[in-house]
Amino acid sequence: MGHGRYIAPPKGQYQVQSGEKLELQYVILPGESRDLEITVDLAGPGAQAQVKVLYLCRADEKVRIRVVMHHLAPECHSTQLINGIAGGQADVRFDGTIVVAPGAQKTEAYQENHNIVLTQEAKVVTKPQLEIYADDVKCSHGATVGQLNADELFYMRSRGIPESEARTLQMLSFLSPVIPAGREEEIESAVRSL
Amino acid sequence: MPQPDWAHLDMPEIDFQDIIYFAAPKKDKDRPKEIDPKLAETFDKLGIPLKERDVLAGVVAVDAVFDSVSVTTTFRKTLAEKGIIFCSFSEAVKDHPDLVRKYLATVVPSSDNYFAALNSAVFSDGSFCYIPKGVRCPMELSSYFRINARGTGQFERTLIVADEDSYVSYMEGCTAPMRDEQQLHAAVVEIIVEKGADVKYSTVQNWYPGDADGKGGILNLVTKRGICKGDGSHLSWTQVETGSAITWKYPSTILKGDYSSSEFYSVAVTNNHQQADTGTKMIHLGRGTKSRIVSKGISAGVSQNSYRGLVRMAKGAQNARNYSQCDSLLIGSRCGAHTFPDIQSQNPSATVEHEATTSKISEDQLFYCNQRGIGPEEAVGLIVNGYAREVLSRLPMEFAVEAQKLLQVSLEGSVG
Repeated sequence: MGHGRYIAPPKGQYQVQSGEKLELQYVILPGESRDLEITVDLAGPGAQAQVKVLYLCRADEKVRIRVVMHHLAPECHSTQLINGIAGGQADVRFDGTIVVAPGAQKTEAYQENHNIVLTQEAKVVTKPQLEIYADDVKCSHGATVGQLNADELFYMRSRGIPESEARTLQMLSFLSPVIPAGREEEIESAVRSL
Repeated sequence: MPQPDWAHLDMPEIDFQDIIYFAAPKKDKDRPKEIDPKLAETFDKLGIPLKERDVLAGVVAVDAVFDSVSVTTTFRKTLAEKGIIFCSFSEAVKDHPDLVRKYLATVVPSSDNYFAALNSAVFSDGSFCYIPKGVRCPMELSSYFRINARGTGQFERTLIVADEDSYVSYMEGCTAPMRDEQQLHAAVVEIIVEKGADVKYSTVQNWYPGDADGKGGILNLVTKRGICKGDGSHLSWTQVETGSAITWKYPSTILKGDYSSSEFYSVAVTNNHQQADTGTKMIHLGRGTKSRIVSKGISAGVSQNSYRGLVRMAKGAQNARNYSQCDSLLIGSRCGAHTFPDIQSQNPSATVEHEATTSKISEDQLFYCNQRGIGPEEAVGLIVNGYAREVLSRLPMEFAVEAQKLLQVSLEGSVG
């Protein structure tokens, strides 16, 4: 065993310098198998990054999402939000890592990954990881894997909304934080196809 | 079988030829009826002096494992009346071979992992506990492990079997006196929980962590696993880890029975050059199974503290539920705190939630305490105890007091 110390990950695709802000947004639609790899280096003090990913699967798609957020400089800010729905026999895997290098004080890094599994055959694996080598930081991550809320569904159905419509509404509201502006209709029709 | 290297640890090479695999106590021929003063001193350090233990005598039965042979087993008679078997492994093999044969290596097979294989090959003694059907164990069972011969690896085996509708609370305390070289401890703990039974397993581990320069200390490479075999069974793990140079330990539960449940509560403290990679595995197989994980890591000095956990919802885990919470507290700017959760879900009705935060003791909190006449060290102790309270409150009473003291001692000198 020999890697208990800080080892810097290889240089990222995106370098964000002081005063810059990086915003990344990905949409993975049904029928698309994707291997998404995003590595961001927050290299200058005060740099900011935001990563949003939305995925929808309905058949036998294989979706891999890897995000490495590397905080190299102090006072950087990063958020990650990855939401998606897995149906069919989809195989979804999320590997997210936040690395806070020694000396990157006053870092704020947040990572969230929420998944809904629709079918018995779909599989979701999520590995949200934190590696922190500085003490004055605010870091948190959250991950959930679950299903559509039965109480909400009941509420809508008792008010005359058909089940399929109610489910669509639930899924859209679940996805809404990661739906890019201007693509609402496209996402809605994709959700209806699930 | 190669030595695993996936852990977030900087492990020195272990010379397996240089380990004494069996060391009996010096006075093997005439086993002492009273525990010798040096051992009493160790108990003193643990916060449970012999005199106090006399007071507690009615409450705690101790199967003390010193070096590799059990020296003393107390309260066997009271337990025997209820049909409870609590003895050393060597006795269990002689007196209850059928039980040992039936359950040994059913949860942790010899091929499980590198260190479990080593243990399976060389283990010489340990503790065996069997609670018969419908019996509620009237006292806390306890076993103290202690490594005291120089260069002795300790390869203990613990096997706990709780038959249908029984209950037992088992405590394990560990301590090792100061030694220069690194000592290896590769134990295996197996717990079998039958239908409707309830097992509570608590550990306080304060082995020698090495000196301030990271010299010496124990390598604690342990495999602990329980199986909730029957419907409605329950297994609870509570651990307070303050010692050892390296801790590599993942008490796990296989939730096989329908509606069985398991909990994991952990506080891991690392200071100076200590390294800990610890966590749990919850494997949900049965319907309606529930698990809860609460892990609190505290790192100070130049130590590294990692949480590594697996939550797996298998296809048959209908309506299974898991909640995990892992918090890390950093003291000083040269230590590290890491979280490596792994969540796998193959069932649409299963719900898994994971949450982790990392923070430090804020200047405001310290200032508040200082202002009211509480010194910096004391203030840190106070804040840390509050932070770990959720876990400490799960420990049996005598252990909780001891654990609180340990937290304070382990963090001495970490405020600068």
